[in-house]
Amino acid sequence: MQKEAAIREPLILGDKSYKDITDDVVGPIEGPAPIGWKIMITISSIVAVYGVGSILYLLGTGIGVWGLNKTVGWAWDITNFVWWVGIGHAGTLISAVLLLFRQKWRMAINRSAEAMTIFAVIMAAIFPGIHMGRIWVSYWVLPLPNQFGSLWVNFNSPLLWDVFAISTYFSVSLVFWYIGLIPDFATIRDRMTKPLSKKIYGLLSFGWSGRAKHWNRFEEVSLVLAGIATPLVFSVHSIVSMDFATSIVPGWHTTIFPPYFVSGAVFSGFAMVQTLLLIMRKGMKLENYIHVKHVEYMNIVIIVTGSIVGVAYLTELFISWYSGVEYESYAFINRFSGPYSWAYWIMMTCNVISPQLFWFKKIRRSLIATFVLSIVVNIGMWFERYVIIVTSVHRDYDPSSWGEFHPTSVDVGVFIGTLGIFFTLFLGFARFFPVLALNELKTILKSSGENFKKKQANH
Amino acid sequence: MANTKRYWSGLDELQETEAFKTIQEQEFPGAQSVDEFLTDDRLESTHTGRRDFLKFMGFSLTAATLVACETPVIKSIPYTNKPEEITPGVANHYASTYYDGQDYVNVLVKTREGRPIFVKSNAQTGVGRVNARVNASVLSLYDSARLTAPQVDGADSDWATVDQRVSTAMAKEGRKVLLTNTVLSPSLKRAIATTGLEHVQYDAIDYSAFVKASEMNFGVATFPSFKFDAATAIVTIGADFLGTFGDSVYYAENWAKNRKPENGSMSRMHAFETNMSLTGSNSDYRTMVKPSEQGKVATALLQAITGQGGSSSLPEAVQAAVASAAQDLKKAGSKGLVLAGSNELDVQRVVNAINSALGSVGTTVTYDGTDLFKGSAGAVQSLTADMQNGGIEMLIIADCNPAYDAPDADKFVAALAKVNTTVSTSMFNDETASRCSIIAPTHHWLESWGDLAIDRYRIDLVQPTISPLHASRGWGESLLTWTGNAVDWYTFVRQTHASDYTSEAMYTNADWNKSVHNGFLGWNEQVPETPAYRSEGVADAVGRLNSQVGGTFELALYQKTTMGAGQHAANPMLQETPDPLTKVTWDNYVTMSHADVDAMGLNGFIGQEKPASVVKVTLNGASLELPVFPMPGQAPGTIGIALGYGRGANGETIGKAAFQTGENGSFLTDSEGQMVPVGKNVHPWMNVSQGMSHTHQFDVQVESTGGEYALACTQIQNTFMGRDSIVKETDFTSFFAERNADKGEASWNKVIKLAVHEDVNGDGIINAQDAKPAEAFDLWHEHAVENVGHRWGMAIDLTTCTGCSACVTACHIENNVPVVGKDEVRRHRDMHWMRIDRFFASDYSLERGEEEGESVIGTYRKMEDPSGNPQTVHMPMMCQHCNHAPCETVCPVAATTHSNEGLNQMTYNRCIGTRYCANNCPYKVRRFNWFNYPGYKKFANFNPAQDSLMRMVLNPDVTVRSRGVMEKCSMCVQRLQAGKLEAKKVGAPLVDGSVVTACAEACPTHAITFGDLNDTKSSARLTSENNRAYHALEEVGVKPNIFYMTKVRNVEPTQA
Repeated sequence: MQKEAAIREPLILGDKSYKDITDDVVGPIEGPAPIGWKIMITISSIVAVYGVGSILYLLGTGIGVWGLNKTVGWAWDITNFVWWVGIGHAGTLISAVLLLFRQKWRMAINRSAEAMTIFAVIMAAIFPGIHMGRIWVSYWVLPLPNQFGSLWVNFNSPLLWDVFAISTYFSVSLVFWYIGLIPDFATIRDRMTKPLSKKIYGLLSFGWSGRAKHWNRFEEVSLVLAGIATPLVFSVHSIVSMDFATSIVPGWHTTIFPPYFVSGAVFSGFAMVQTLLLIMRKGMKLENYIHVKHVEYMNIVIIVTGSIVGVAYLTELFISWYSGVEYESYAFINRFSGPYSWAYWIMMTCNVISPQLFWFKKIRRSLIATFVLSIVVNIGMWFERYVIIVTSVHRDYDPSSWGEFHPTSVDVGVFIGTLGIFFTLFLGFARFFPVLALNELKTILKSSGENFKKKQANH
Repeated sequence: MANTKRYWSGLDELQETEAFKTIQEQEFPGAQSVDEFLTDDRLESTHTGRRDFLKFMGFSLTAATLVACETPVIKSIPYTNKPEEITPGVANHYASTYYDGQDYVNVLVKTREGRPIFVKSNAQTGVGRVNARVNASVLSLYDSARLTAPQVDGADSDWATVDQRVSTAMAKEGRKVLLTNTVLSPSLKRAIATTGLEHVQYDAIDYSAFVKASEMNFGVATFPSFKFDAATAIVTIGADFLGTFGDSVYYAENWAKNRKPENGSMSRMHAFETNMSLTGSNSDYRTMVKPSEQGKVATALLQAITGQGGSSSLPEAVQAAVASAAQDLKKAGSKGLVLAGSNELDVQRVVNAINSALGSVGTTVTYDGTDLFKGSAGAVQSLTADMQNGGIEMLIIADCNPAYDAPDADKFVAALAKVNTTVSTSMFNDETASRCSIIAPTHHWLESWGDLAIDRYRIDLVQPTISPLHASRGWGESLLTWTGNAVDWYTFVRQTHASDYTSEAMYTNADWNKSVHNGFLGWNEQVPETPAYRSEGVADAVGRLNSQVGGTFELALYQKTTMGAGQHAANPMLQETPDPLTKVTWDNYVTMSHADVDAMGLNGFIGQEKPASVVKVTLNGASLELPVFPMPGQAPGTIGIALGYGRGANGETIGKAAFQTGENGSFLTDSEGQMVPVGKNVHPWMNVSQGMSHTHQFDVQVESTGGEYALACTQIQNTFMGRDSIVKETDFTSFFAERNADKGEASWNKVIKLAVHEDVNGDGIINAQDAKPAEAFDLWHEHAVENVGHRWGMAIDLTTCTGCSACVTACHIENNVPVVGKDEVRRHRDMHWMRIDRFFASDYSLERGEEEGESVIGTYRKMEDPSGNPQTVHMPMMCQHCNHAPCETVCPVAATTHSNEGLNQMTYNRCIGTRYCANNCPYKVRRFNWFNYPGYKKFANFNPAQDSLMRMVLNPDVTVRSRGVMEKCSMCVQRLQAGKLEAKKVGAPLVDGSVVTACAEACPTHAITFGDLNDTKSSARLTSENNRAYHALEEVGVKPNIFYMTKVRNVEPTQA
């Protein structure tokens, strides 16, 4: 059994036994749905239905229902795509990278972070699909054998790399998440009394019996998947950034993009995890498992990645001036002083200035402050993508085509709608899935649990 | 040897068993009656499993569903008797002549399967160049608002009834008048003469002062002929001769002949004008003057040249400009040309005095009797008065729309009710026709025979290219019928030119057939005469002009290059073609200088969501509310409003595109449920005095209403932000000094070099001087297009491009480019494959910002503002067909690829619509199908593809694109393919010039040279090797196949 220094803050508070953990996690699944959950899922599903309606209207009528035009060919669609993919970064980072680094505090958050990843990637995947003029032939982006004179895809195109990157990331994340869920599903199955629920959880748990051999394989598979997932954390957003970096649009054509995008993604992913978990721990009474220390750890990640992003912003500005390229330097001057400078300054405030507040321990450990700042960061990161995409193309090389972008209600509807779908899925997850990796948590109960730490101190 | 081989399918066949024989005899072995089958006991023992059941059910369901999805059957009917000259899929061209009272030009009409679909210049046997208006006019043939039958008292009728009614009226006592525009057809004139009708002519735009001044000063009552190719110094006082003034289709081509710097000399053009016109934007020196000062400019010129102009109170800057213009004129002597656009007799007399003093009468301006513009505003005024007094028994109106554009149109409308019988021959139930008791619709010019004589030198022919679509009848024939001389119009036309013609000679006269083929009948040698000048009344005219004064705001009405005087109001393509200067579509508006806009606190920038401010303009108590467009180059203290708008103000059915549509595509209606026309009608504001009507009003009141109105512009940025790798320009002196420089070496067209980290110049140090030409850098492998097969390319001369937009409409029609309407244009979603970028010069530059210590941000902001009186660049822009095309690399499905002929080709079928290519295009020439333009309801009221009749104008060689795909200039690949096939049939290499794109073909000034860049002798190749040739945005390294030619202005070096 692993030992841990007593002076380290405990990861599980209160006088918890193994059974308590099971009760705390599985209890909400067994009991009736709380009123708060019902209200939230009603609101989010109404929003989701509105979003689906907006999407259907878009698909039925044409991309013209958005505010795009001949100059600005991408705006909210790709902004939302990159934003959601970015959010989808935290889950895999937490479960894979932190697993490899043996950060035990991840156990309290990895399950929901991974769920968030899956749902966020699904939301992200909606946008490249619906932003196409002809979604009904979207399968042409796959290198499938075909009867069109064996017409092949264009491997030069970063959009194609995107297809591979996103689909790989999604499938690996999904498998990783599901593998982790298997023992916990088995625990639920064992406690279920209603035959239907028992059957369903039985199916979901793949006949897990908790034998040593199962645990051994579980551990091994987790490690292997963590090994596979880790490079993906970096590849996905690097590749997404190449949509821009490989183009010739001033403001997009920037070699700094891959690391800049990855850290931005982790930054926004952790912010979203904070937003979700702070609500969930309250609603599901998980304060003992997800407590201030966890929040603080995540806030530290936010400071680090936020600072990287800030440095990247300043580097871009410097290089645009240093390059001496007229178009390049104008693109950045236009960013901070042109018609969309308000978006730039929102981005700068939210992403560069606000996370620096976490240097103060008081703020870092304040749940209210964290919640507010996590939302601020998410807003900032949305604007980052908006700034990159819209302000670069709206005034690029040929001034005769300089234009503006104004979103329509359908732009807004689709974006809000994906938020609705996302929260509906996440609330469904919170209701029917073990929201904490309870079996994994049990492994640290005797090393990092508060009561055991106390006992240790008393010895 | 006999074949003993035997093939058998089984042992049974080989052995010829009994069982096999029975089976072989039955065609359907095992046939069994249904009763037998169902009563078979063995059936019960068979077993159909659940899976089989599901399979069968699934199959049946799928089969039933598929049957329900019926593929639409589109019937195509083959020719039973194929016309000899028509081969399906091959275009036929017919020579004809276009005349609408304003534009007169020889044309070739392209027909496909009997449908005229394209009108272009008849470059081989004709004169004049088709402009945007003529080019797009083919749409009016298919306008579904055309009358399909004659009407009597507002109800559909038939010709017998109409003929009977009109003949009866004809027989009555009293004055019977025929009102037309200037009639140029000898046959029509002959027909009119036989009827004994009193003939009154007027033109929508009155030029009677020109004719009258010619008569007074030269004794020839004619509109002057201007010879721009003979002029080395041109001074225009408000005459937009490159756009709409006079016989403009002839002017641009001739003007451009003297604008080629390679010739070693260029004409110099001074423009004094109120509104920023196409001509002013192409002039070398442009001076802003108020309408009340235009006459004074003429007198000051006269003063400077002859000393007889008296003294006037012109601002100092204008005086200096006049002095410089006068100097150039004196230098040019008889090769100088002065013209003024104002239809004021005094102005024209002074201009005549200047020209005769220069000695240019006979060289740059001649008076050899063109028959154009013989109409008179005064004639229609006195007719109106007579009608009002009840003195007119009957009025027949043909080829004109007096209820809309006659001087004092409202009086005319009121007087029309007092005429007993009113007959209109309009094709539409328009403003005039709807007020007439009888409408006898005439043919469209593409449906009719005719002859036209613009002057005494030649007679042009009009031939039908399609049989009449509706029950219409040419009005000449109608006149003859009504006077009891009914004769077939074709016979009548033939008899005009050969009185002994009989129908037996219809096909046998080879001369006539040749004439029809060439489009003209007779051609007399021109005998230039120099009429003697009589300085009649010039001194008085000078005095009157010098005492003209204006109010706070003066008004100059003008015609838009794209719209003319209103006859094209229902043409959706012309409505959508942006005005060359303002780039506004689908509206007319008040143009006002930035200074006045700022002073009045109006909106100085029109954007997608930034509407224009609305002002109330009041003239003599009448007022109009119009949006204000802040116009660089508009003289402060003046406003301009375009004529030709506000057609169909009472909901007349003149065509759907004449009316405004809202954001959902349905027609906008006013409070009374009436459809709202596009723009406002300012014809009533023409200044009519002494029987002449001109476009200047010296005192109007303008006040802000606080309202706002959205204008749809295709370009909202005014300046090119000092990006001189897009636009290169120089002055003629600098050009001349380095005219023999190698390409890329001249100071005005230096090749762009990029610094590299190697010692290029060999000085031992690596620094900023070590640079290589942008062409030397390659990220990708070269496409093997150089010197292999064809490599299509173009060279566009910015010096001779006037921005007239003929190429835009030609491209529009040739390539079935969708019309998307005002709301979509406002959202920056115009679909033009070919656009003309209009850049105004700015007073500010990065250098000046640095000198003045202005911050970079502030400098860039100021560079966005155009000068008060800017120099202008018109830059045609279309797909540059880059050899390193950034769009090609980013398409995930390879829908846009490079052809081995250097074309960047777009495969619509393969496009999935990610728009990545459009984002990555540095020239922003890619256009996305945001909606299903040929089907979506938003476009139903103006898109030709959605009108069952107007759809006939679509080019069958070009796909009509569906929604969700990208499109762009294809370099008219359909024409290239057709041309290559022709060459293949002949078995000879393609001849330079035998294929040409629609834009190059349409260009009146030949600014666009198209050809095979691999053909070392092709004009495109030679032009591209000229030292003025450059690639736009060369440093991006995309290696376009389109070259631009540095713009050369004939100005003094300091002013370039």
